[in-house]
Amino acid sequence: MIRYIKLYYLFCKQNLKVMMEYRMDFLLGVLSVMLQQFAGIFFVKIVFDHIHELNGWTFYEILFIYGIAATGRSIHHIFFDNLWTLGWQYIRPGKFDRLLIRPINPLFHFIADRLQQDGFGQLFIGIIVLGTAMPHLDISWGFMEYVILIIMIIASGFIFVAVNLFFATLSFWMVDSLPIVWTIFNLSDFARYPLTIYHKGIRHLLTWIIPYGFTAFYPAAYFIKGSGFENLALLTPVAAIVSCALAYLFWNRGLKAFTSTGS
Amino acid sequence: MRKYIEFARVQMQVHAAYSAWFWANTFSVLLRMLVIYFFWKAVYSNRSEIEGMSFDGMTTYIIIAMFLQMFVSGVGRELAHTIKDGNVAIELMRPYHLITRLIAMDIGDKVIYFIRGALPLGILAFVFMDVTLPSTWQSGVLFLLSALMGIWIGTFFDLLIAILAFWTINLWGLEVMKEAVVSFFSGALVPLILFPEWFQTISLFLPFQAMVYVPVAIYTGILTGTEAWLAVGSQLIWAVLLFGLLRVLWSVAMKKVTIFGG
Repeated sequence: MIRYIKLYYLFCKQNLKVMMEYRMDFLLGVLSVMLQQFAGIFFVKIVFDHIHELNGWTFYEILFIYGIAATGRSIHHIFFDNLWTLGWQYIRPGKFDRLLIRPINPLFHFIADRLQQDGFGQLFIGIIVLGTAMPHLDISWGFMEYVILIIMIIASGFIFVAVNLFFATLSFWMVDSLPIVWTIFNLSDFARYPLTIYHKGIRHLLTWIIPYGFTAFYPAAYFIKGSGFENLALLTPVAAIVSCALAYLFWNRGLKAFTSTGS
Repeated sequence: MRKYIEFARVQMQVHAAYSAWFWANTFSVLLRMLVIYFFWKAVYSNRSEIEGMSFDGMTTYIIIAMFLQMFVSGVGRELAHTIKDGNVAIELMRPYHLITRLIAMDIGDKVIYFIRGALPLGILAFVFMDVTLPSTWQSGVLFLLSALMGIWIGTFFDLLIAILAFWTINLWGLEVMKEAVVSFFSGALVPLILFPEWFQTISLFLPFQAMVYVPVAIYTGILTGTEAWLAVGSQLIWAVLLFGLLRVLWSVAMKKVTIFGG
């Protein structure tokens, strides 16, 4: 374990050197993601200029959901972004074999290969949005609340990771599963709004099958009195652990089935 | 001219070959339509109009705008990557104009996507989501004209941004930033009439509303009569302006290529 932490530190150092080499691009990446997130928030603001509540949810409650999603996703974006590239950058050009002959866990190596600077923009905006929304919620923020919020956000991030890992693993059989990963990832668009506005079928899909509901809506609902989802919200960390475990088992199966494309 | 038509034709075949991406895209569009539908249904759950727009009018606007937005970006990504990996040097030696070739490929792409993707999905939207036809046939015709110009403006703007790849390596960031600005200012997410006054004034002087808002506003009857014609006129100005700007920036960039030797 300690060896892996040390290794990760070394990987990070290399990645940071690359980042510092291209400072303008670092700024461009961070700014672009912030702008992208800001566009989404501005959209909600515009709509709320004309209405007072959406299906019983106020503007700040929606912002809060948004903030949890953005912060959670930033964990995924900064540390696990390489999952997007498994097919087209590793398996197809035959580079994945390189990871298999190293004396460390190939998944670890694969993840540590990249630190994605652009995700920091997501993190900043997520924290800003949370900071804006939190004082307007009907709850007193004590130490426990902050601890729970942080746990929820970490769990949210790992659900994003698990879903992407699971579908990226399909690349072991089909060389590049990026179209599938991308399509499934788009499902997380649903999670930016209260799940109560959707048809029951969609709600069940996002709760029990692709658990994106736990990346934003349920954790947020925990802090909103009378939302009716407080109990389900407590399952968020469980959902994260279960989906990570499933994804990891699936990854191991994929590794066994993997035959190199030969470079 | 023949060779460019050939490029467009080949691109259609390439498009047909990558069927996984086609289905991924189709499925994602369907998902987005669902999100849009439920979101706006919730918005309209206890009111019948916002700024004079009914639920049907609003979903029509948003869905048509969503489809149009898919056509307003172009081959900027290809151009940017050609520049990035240095292939641009080889491309420039070949017996065609790189930009013209890319635009020909883009046309091929868009035509085939219109037939295979947008049309069937559009019909679905008409059948299941209360999307309505334009109120008069005149506004229908003007919409087509205006939409073509919006696509032209979007395509040229996309190429303009892509040329910046000569100066930056973060293509992903560049693309995300462009997408955010375009969907923000073009009225692709929500009609510009819902925006605050000051925002509408700013957008009047930007090329983005000419990409999506103007055509769709004509379609849904937000812009009619003289107003509509004026808007189309401003589109024409943008179309010419961006075309000129692209030529200038391209020749500036070409000088840079010679400096570094490719």
